[in-house]
Amino acid sequence: MNYIKTLIQNLVSGPSTVSYPFGPAWTPDNFRGRIEFKLSSCTACRACEQVCAPGAIRFDKTPEGLRFMMWHNTCVFCGLCEHYCPTDAIKQTTDWHMAHTVDQEYGMAIRETIAYVTCTGCNAKTLSSAPNPAGVEPPFTAEEIEQHRNLCPACRKKALAERGAAS
Amino acid sequence: MIESLYTPLALLIFPGGLFALALGLVLKGLDRRLAARLQRRVGPPLAQPVYDLVKLAQKRTMVPDIACQPVFLGAPLVGVVSMALAVALVPIPGVYTPDVVLGDLLVLLYLLTVPAVVLMIAGSASGSPFGAIGFSREMAMMLAYEGPLVLVVASVALRTGLGQGGLVSFSLSEIIAYQQAHGAFLFDPVMWPALLAFLAFYPANLGIIPFDIPEAETEVLEGPLLEYSGPALGLFKIMSALKAVVVLGLGVALFFPLAPDGMAGLLIQIVKLVVLMLLGVTLLRVSLGRMRIDQAFRFFLKWPLALSVLSLAIVTIA
Amino acid sequence: MNLKQMISAQARRMAARSPWIYRINAGSCNGCDVECATTALIPRYDVERLGCQYCGSPRHADIVLVTGPLTARVKESVLRVYAEVPDPKVTVAVGVCPISGGIFRDGYAVLAPLSKYIPVDVNVPGCAPRPQAIIEGIAQAIEIWRGRL
Repeated sequence: MNYIKTLIQNLVSGPSTVSYPFGPAWTPDNFRGRIEFKLSSCTACRACEQVCAPGAIRFDKTPEGLRFMMWHNTCVFCGLCEHYCPTDAIKQTTDWHMAHTVDQEYGMAIRETIAYVTCTGCNAKTLSSAPNPAGVEPPFTAEEIEQHRNLCPACRKKALAERGAAS
Repeated sequence: MIESLYTPLALLIFPGGLFALALGLVLKGLDRRLAARLQRRVGPPLAQPVYDLVKLAQKRTMVPDIACQPVFLGAPLVGVVSMALAVALVPIPGVYTPDVVLGDLLVLLYLLTVPAVVLMIAGSASGSPFGAIGFSREMAMMLAYEGPLVLVVASVALRTGLGQGGLVSFSLSEIIAYQQAHGAFLFDPVMWPALLAFLAFYPANLGIIPFDIPEAETEVLEGPLLEYSGPALGLFKIMSALKAVVVLGLGVALFFPLAPDGMAGLLIQIVKLVVLMLLGVTLLRVSLGRMRIDQAFRFFLKWPLALSVLSLAIVTIA
Repeated sequence: MNLKQMISAQARRMAARSPWIYRINAGSCNGCDVECATTALIPRYDVERLGCQYCGSPRHADIVLVTGPLTARVKESVLRVYAEVPDPKVTVAVGVCPISGGIFRDGYAVLAPLSKYIPVDVNVPGCAPRPQAIIEGIAQAIEIWRGRL
């Protein structure tokens, strides 16, 4: 008989329906939503491509640089890429408004190119190296970091070895 | 000329036909809205059954290859016509008394069995195995609830007849006149077993949870209605809306037909129908789960049948 | 002619307020099916406000929700059931599995994307999408269906 009490309580309390789509929807702060990619922070380590569960992230070599491609329609929002990215270049936002019609299907992607630069040491084409991994403070001054960034990996190894030998 | 137009008008416009259809759809809309509020949801707008019908009219009717086409398409028509006739037979106390040429309580009883039979035939004509399951379940339900209904009607007729010095009176206008003179059967302790049996009967007839076994959505994929689409399905919805008006109106006429004349009587009738609908249909629908067919069959063969036999015995003795 | 056009426009407007939904599970892990069920049953995300109703038979449906990557085993059944839905209809692919295969992409029994076999109209990415996102997809599907009536 206590369901009659429940029914009366339900009538009195009114609907508990959220007002979406006729009003705004509440999203929790740590909701795993759409991926966003910050080109200036990417160091092209390709860790996200390795760990992406459904294989939504792909890197391709092009004449201009390394092209980063990510398909929102394959992403399963697991957050592994954000977890493993050393420089916080790929992050998950709380955006979940991604329903779209099929004509926009091939536009739901991120396509960015990490450009090649010329090494100041040996003039070879190399990928521009990104800022330091998050939370790491190397014992160099800012000018030294800038200098090392414009070297290819081989020249950088030589420069650091000479610096170590000199100190 | 006016007299000869009276019956066709009663059949087509008021209180049958368009008026009954509108009333049935309003009752259904109220039922859905109240059920939603009882479940703490918002619910569809009140005119939602009308939108459903308009949409169904614009889709196409697909007939399966293995179906028997004339029966498949003709069954809903027969159901709607029978219910349209039955609505013109149910009196609205104080406002409308049906023309004797249409028939009376016994004809109404026969017409009330037609929608169930139509559902059964539609289920078997569609040729699908789910339709066959719906056919057998609907047959079992009909066997279960027709017994109490006939006995309840017989008790009411017997009481009216004996009270007037005769034997039995199957005329609805006489039953209503007797109650207006001697007090409604709702307040008569002798008729309370019959009232309880009727209260158990009408959710089963209207196909409401816990007795909507033949049309169970999740169990048999809507049973007999599985293969219907478009206007044919719309005809079934119209049939069930009209049936609600008929059965609830019959309940009011049998047990509580006291009402003033004229417009006030019409409004009181609508209020009574709404109250019966909300109490019997909506409250049951939101609070109970669906019974199994053997449970429902056994339930009807136990309590409502016993109550109606008891009421027949009491009425004969008293 | 003008009256007839007015009546049919009004009838189309009224009909657009009652889209009935049917759900086809094309080999899904049931995550998206659970989210679809919450939009139907749970009072919090009531989809009946929009006039929608989950129907038990494909013959009664207007909007078809498909979940799951099309596995090889159910492909024939899904295509048959899809053909039973009367026109006009709108197809919504719920979750990333029907769009691209999702987590099951490149599996040996997975025949995603679904749009190779049946014409899909709205995609709702997510794994599983939020009930609010599914309602958003259904609202877009209702707009498309209104145009097809």
